Amino acid sequence: MSYYESVFIARPDITAAQVESLTESLKQIIVENGGAPANDEYWGLKSLAYKIKKNRKGHYTMIKLEAPPAAIKELERNMRLNEDILRFLTIKVDSLEEEPSVMIRNKGPREDRVPQDNQSAEPDNNAYSKEYTGDTSSEENFSNTGVDE
Amino acid sequence: MKNRRPFFRRQKSCPFSGPNAPKIDYKDVKLLQRFVSERGKIVPRRITAVSSKKQRELARAIKRARNLALMPFVLD
Repeated sequence: MSYYESVFIARPDITAAQVESLTESLKQIIVENGGAPANDEYWGLKSLAYKIKKNRKGHYTMIKLEAPPAAIKELERNMRLNEDILRFLTIKVDSLEEEPSVMIRNKGPREDRVPQDNQSAEPDNNAYSKEYTGDTSSEENFSNTGVDE
Repeated sequence: MKNRRPFFRRQKSCPFSGPNAPKIDYKDVKLLQRFVSERGKIVPRRITAVSSKKQRELARAIKRARNLALMPFVLD
């Protein structure tokens, strides 16, 4: 059995909860084929660098797993069939990282910066002179939901 | 010595070697972004001074990131 990381992009018009259940069903497939999913990371609704099937955004999820080749084949076959999945990438890794990946780590410190209420009307226009620091992927509230194992 | 090589260039060291070098990972878009041009092309290693082994690794990571729409194939 070898270690893999499988990232898939789900359609933007499904909800985060649906992505969660989709992840669970994929993990179920892995288990049925003799693999062992380690943990999964939901990176959130991120904007794509280019359009995929006319979508500008997508839900990114990564599953870390240990599985025999047959399970990977079955997993990829199912991801190909699933209409909700825009794209996927499964790569073999030497070992599974225990700590969350850079995607989560970069999101972490940003979370407390996002909620800013400038609703209290100020007489001066200084509130608008402030630069928008976040890149395109900062508009969603990210949370690492994949620590259940 | 100086006369022989008037355009001597200082030996640059690879940004991915050394004790606290960053790990090349297709997920680390912020890191990879530094090694692509404004148009999204991979910058040759004669400019970035990445070692050839690491350049191969870097190119692989950038291509993976492109496939996942984390990075663009073209920017214009």
